[in-house]
Amino acid sequence: MRKLYEYSATELSSLLRGREVSAAEITEAALGRIEAVEGQVDAFLTVTADEARAAAERVDAKIAAGEELAPLAGIPVAVKDNICTRGVRTTCASRMLENFVPPYDATVTEKLEAQGAVLTGKTNMDEFAMGGSCENSYFKKTKNPWDTSRVPGGSSGGSAAAVASCEVPLALGSDTGGSVRCPASFCGIVGLKPTYGAVSRYGLVAFASSLDQIGPFGRTVDDVALLYGAICGHDPRDATSKNAALGEVRGEVKGLRLGVPKEYFGEGISPEVKAAVYAAVERLKGLGAEVVEISLPSTDYALAAYYIISSAEASSNLARYDGVKYGFSGNREGTLNDLYLSTRSQGFGAEVKRRIMLGTYVLSSGYYDAYYKRAKLLQGVIGQEFADAFEKCDAIVTPVNPTTAFKLGEKCDDPVQMYATDVCTVTVNIAGLPGVSLPCGSDAAGLPIGMQVIGPRFSETRLLSIAKCYETAVGGFAVKEM
Amino acid sequence: MEIDVRHIARLAKLDIPEEELPRMEQELSSIVSMVEKLPELASKESLLDPENTMELRPDVVQPSFPRDEMLKNAPDTAAGCLMVPKVVE
Repeated sequence: MRKLYEYSATELSSLLRGREVSAAEITEAALGRIEAVEGQVDAFLTVTADEARAAAERVDAKIAAGEELAPLAGIPVAVKDNICTRGVRTTCASRMLENFVPPYDATVTEKLEAQGAVLTGKTNMDEFAMGGSCENSYFKKTKNPWDTSRVPGGSSGGSAAAVASCEVPLALGSDTGGSVRCPASFCGIVGLKPTYGAVSRYGLVAFASSLDQIGPFGRTVDDVALLYGAICGHDPRDATSKNAALGEVRGEVKGLRLGVPKEYFGEGISPEVKAAVYAAVERLKGLGAEVVEISLPSTDYALAAYYIISSAEASSNLARYDGVKYGFSGNREGTLNDLYLSTRSQGFGAEVKRRIMLGTYVLSSGYYDAYYKRAKLLQGVIGQEFADAFEKCDAIVTPVNPTTAFKLGEKCDDPVQMYATDVCTVTVNIAGLPGVSLPCGSDAAGLPIGMQVIGPRFSETRLLSIAKCYETAVGGFAVKEM
Repeated sequence: MEIDVRHIARLAKLDIPEEELPRMEQELSSIVSMVEKLPELASKESLLDPENTMELRPDVVQPSFPRDEMLKNAPDTAAGCLMVPKVVE
């Protein structure tokens, strides 16, 4: 018999409406599951059991009163720890914000709360979302539920691992260069990076403002659609946000032209990943899609452009951590400069310092034109190449990661090697496009492989429809027994 | 590629201990040699994205966050203000 925690959010929502279960039972099932497997997975930085129980009680009271329920009412959701939750510690997995309790909610958390979603906790991540393995957390290392000696991917590794291990049906992450899609792929679940502007970032701790987006995780495409539909839309508090909405996700590919860019299947991509993604493309072709070969020639330069732009913006965004207004505060006995230096040197971890240094360097006098300006120009070129490609196709299919999940510690000593894991995902952020990551098989060791479907701006409905079509054809995605 | 790590650290307000300087320099160099691959592009294109115009919200007077709420996370406060080390003699 299936356990309650194994149900999808969509199923739970309908059980709740049919009064077959209560919100309290759903919440207890999630909290029980967290207690049972958290020791192996380490997905959470904070579990908000009391708040979750209170939220579930409010939903049950609504049901008892015969009130209308919002789609996410009573559904447990985990939130990445860089998204502000009023009254609940929000650390960014950094010593800098170890004790930071936001006095306000992010727009997305506000929307979840308004729907009656049950926040079960805040999830682990790479410090300030900088990393591809979740190993840069100041607090703990999250493990991949498929093999706990391996990384869950990053930076939203805690959210992905929590969903993959059935601790929660839904979670929110953020994606600046692949941080939703990469861990979704490593953990064998579905993750969506929405169009730049589709979801408000108000209350998301800024990393690289021209690239950051909040995105949903789920074990099914319908669940990801459910959560995306709840968080998208214009917000006056984020000047980049737009009036995005989700249409009906039909699960059809008939007549759609799928572009396969050869640059994403180069020598850096493992043969097993290539084979799995090609097989998925064939499958979609069998379901009625037309497959066209396309070219995105500047892909090779995207990683460099990404690290210049993201580090430059990070060095500027993270200048706010000065030990004065909030967060960790260093030596207050000396000068103001001593306070800044000691706060930042002790509060930030190694990778964050590396990125701040790189960002400061590329923006420093005499180097701005050579790096930042060139990268921004390349951003325009990459965007144009995608626009040209979408003249020939309706969506683009690529791998998500060059390999399956690697071992904990395997890439920690070489930042360049770690950065290379983002090679297939950064272009989507650079061009501000939506991309969905979904499972498409596994390697010889049984580790999940992910494929990425990229579309034009605000084509989330189409992308989720393609993903759902594939999901239905393969009979749903496997869940790891734990 | 020579990177003046000390100078960059000063700009970034980071204290990199003497013994970590070589490692930081080596890591930065390896990242910089990766990002140096970028091609030269004609620079006539605008750096602004015409499709991503931003919209300011109407400038209306509304209540802001209560001061004591906002100061709760501050390391040191006095008389409703943030405290910093003395900056003028």
